[in-house]
This record gives sequence, structure tokens and C-alpha cells, in this order.
Amino acid sequence: MESRGTTTATRAVVVSVAVVAVLLLGAAVGLLIQLPGAETSSTPARDSVDVGFSQDMAEHHLQGVTMARAVAGRTADDAIRQLAFDIEATQQEQVGRMKGWLSLWGYAEQSPDGTHMAWMAGSGESHHGGTTGATGLMPGMATSEELAKLRSLAGQEFDVYFLQLMLRHHEGGAPMAEHAAKHAGQHVVRTLAENILKSQTAEGDYMKQLLGQRGAAPLP
Amino acid sequence: MTSGKKTKAARSSVQAARSSVVASKPKPWGTIIAVIAVLALAGTVFTYAYSRIAEKNAAEAALAKWVPSEENKDPSEQIAGVVKKEYPAGKHVTPDQRVAYDQSPPFGGPHDQSWAVCTGVVYDKAVRNENMVHALEHGAVWIAYNPDQVSGDALDKLKAKADGQPFTMLSPYPGLDKPISLQAWGRQLKLDSADDERIDQFIRSLRTNKYTYPELGATCDSSTFDVDNPPPFVAEAPGEGAVPMEGGTEDTSETGNTGTAPSTQPSS
Repeated sequence: MESRGTTTATRAVVVSVAVVAVLLLGAAVGLLIQLPGAETSSTPARDSVDVGFSQDMAEHHLQGVTMARAVAGRTADDAIRQLAFDIEATQQEQVGRMKGWLSLWGYAEQSPDGTHMAWMAGSGESHHGGTTGATGLMPGMATSEELAKLRSLAGQEFDVYFLQLMLRHHEGGAPMAEHAAKHAGQHVVRTLAENILKSQTAEGDYMKQLLGQRGAAPLP
Repeated sequence: MTSGKKTKAARSSVQAARSSVVASKPKPWGTIIAVIAVLALAGTVFTYAYSRIAEKNAAEAALAKWVPSEENKDPSEQIAGVVKKEYPAGKHVTPDQRVAYDQSPPFGGPHDQSWAVCTGVVYDKAVRNENMVHALEHGAVWIAYNPDQVSGDALDKLKAKADGQPFTMLSPYPGLDKPISLQAWGRQLKLDSADDERIDQFIRSLRTNKYTYPELGATCDSSTFDVDNPPPFVAEAPGEGAVPMEGGTEDTSETGNTGTAPSTQPSS
């Protein structure tokens, strides 16, 4: 029967097309989907939270180290010197951890295209300041002018401005640490981020106290 | 599609219905259109997904090209015009000595004990070579420009590449034979324009490149170098008393060599 043959042929075509369509859609889904566990592999992706946090927090920390080192020779206040020594030593060591991970994973120590915080895109934390994926200074970072002003001061004037800049620096980095503590794939990254968040929050409270003792307030 | 679990009666009734449709219409246009539509939709979705991934991969590859790796230790070898020289590290001179550098601006060789601060500093005035070279040994990239040839927008573009960027410094270099010259330890690239894409490529390839700079982990902060009042650049030729390129006092804490320090040159 000819119509029977046509039906069989039509059905064959329909079935084939359905199979091809399902395969194509499956392939598309496979290309687009990022499995939730993908970042737990030993090498995170270049655009992962782990890599972005390590690059950006290392750079953020380095300025903290620079500011802490400016204390030497500019103050006689033991509390400030002790605080600065702690910040310098701790943050320099943490920078070493982050650069070590980046080196193991095979990524650049600094954001290769000069942008920052793209890894925080879509997070609730990014509204705390700064724009994600943009060039320029990260939240809390001091400008070159502010650093030059810091270097020009001495005595209690220096102490107060140091505390103000360092407090703002700590607070600016907090949302980055918060995001990485929640969303990084590697446990070492989450652990460090959480530790930074906690210790810098406590240190921030201490700096507010030191500012108050010196009759000064945090920067607006 | 038809399930094999359907009863014979159901199947035959479906076949009958389909046969009658096919029989009454020689060409099953509805089916053909539906088939094409489904195929087109699936094709579009797949093409979209594929192009997204291809775009992402291309962007990653473009960035990765300039990231040093075990397979690609010195990405600057892919940049046209880069001059490469090997220099021994850790040879020091005193603040009153000058080095007879073999290059201008120099990008390796003996240098002052005190390195120029390279924490993303824009130097407005030219700085003493002997300090700048030491910063290169610490992994920094030094962007030098001829102040007679680079100003305005072009200078602003260079400043944006250095200001606040870790392991980067910018300074004027009077008498520079090209408008712009980029230095990393043992590498140099001279350029005409601040818009040249090779500037970013050079920086990405060589800034704190663990395969090319001698002192891994060294800092850009300094306790001895006054960043606000740096020792000035000296335009005059170094003269006879200068420390030659193979001279300088070996700093064993940097080179790791022990025993007597060789090739110590008499100071001027």
C-alpha cells in the first residue's frame, strides 16, 4: 500500500528529527550548564570565585601592607606600632598563600585584564561599594594622593589618619571576603576568606576604639 | 512518539487515522513544517550555546596567551620588538656610586642596595637608574617616557596603567630615544604610542613573572627609599669611576652564593 509506505517514511523522518533535536538541545544544555560541583575540582576556572578572590584580595592586602609599613619612623605610639606590625605580618603571609594557590592553579597573580570583582557579579554583597568587573580602585583602597598625605604626617596626626585609612580599607574588603567565604569552591579559599572577615571585623572594632580614644571619628 | 505499550487496537486506529490523512493529502505539509520548525529551534538553541562557549573560550585564550605558565614561561617572546638580555642578580653598589649601564634605560645589572618603591607609583620627576633597576629585580615593570614627546592624553593613558597597580612604576626619562620604553628584569620594549596594544601584553607577560625575575616574593615597599623625594636621575654619562656591568658587590643573601664574593669592583 503506497499510503502505508509514505506513513512509515514520514514516521521515520519525524522520529529522526526528534532524536536530532533532542541531541542538539542536550548538547546545548551541556555546554551552558555549570554543574554545582564543578568548582570543587583541584583547579578552579579562571572566572571562578576562587581565582577572582585570590587575585583581588592579594592586591587589596598588599596596600594594607604598604600602609602598615608607613608607620615605621612616623609614630612613637606603641599601640599603633603593634597594630601595624600585626597587620603587615599577617596580610603579607596571607598574600603568600593566595599567590601560592594562583601559582599552583596556573593563573596570573594579578587580574590579567586589570578589572576587579567580576567574580562577585550578581551577588547581594556588591552593593556595599564599587562596581563589579570594573577597572580602578577596589572598595576601601586609598588613592595615591591619600597615601602621599599619610606619608607627610607624623605623630598623632599620622596615627589618626592611619587608623582612618586602615579602617576604611578593612571595611571595603569585607564584602569580598564575605562573598568568597560563601561561594568559593575550594575549602582553603573559603576558610581564609571567612578568617579574614572575622579577624578584620574585630580589628575594625579595635581601630574605632583607638580612634575614639584620640578624639577622632572614622572617615565619612 | 508511539509507545510500544499501546494496545493493538489503539495502534491500528492511529495508523488508520494517519493513513487517511496521508491518503487525503499527497504531501503532509503540516508535518513537514512542524519538523522544520522543531529542527530550526533546536539548531538555533545549539548555535547560541555553541557561540557563547566559543566566545568565552576565545576570550580566555586571548588572556591566557599572556599569562606565564610552565609551557609558556616568557609570553613576551611572542611580542614583536622585545629585547632580551641575561643579567646576574644581586650585584649591589652604594648610594654614591654610578653604574656604567649597557642600555638606556637600563633593565638589569648592578644596582643600588635600595630599590625604588614600585607599589603602583607615578614618579613626576626622573629617578636615579641604580634604584629603578633594583625594583625590576623585585618583579616590577617600569614604564619610562620621554617628557619632551609624551604628555596630555598619552601620558594620562600611561599613568592609568601604573597608578595604584602593584609592581608597576612610571617615570620620565630625559633623552629617551623613543617616546616610550618598557622595562622588566632582562627585557625591554621601546614604542612610539601609548595606544600600542603591546604595552598591556608586555605588562601581563612580565610583571611578577616567576620565571623571569630573580627575587621571588620580594616587596615593592621600602624602608629606605624616599618615594616623595627620590634620588634624582643623572643625565651626564657615568664617567671613568663608574662600576662596570660585570661589577658590583655580590649580596649573598640575594644570590645564595657563599664564600668570598667575587668580582668586587673598586668603588669610585
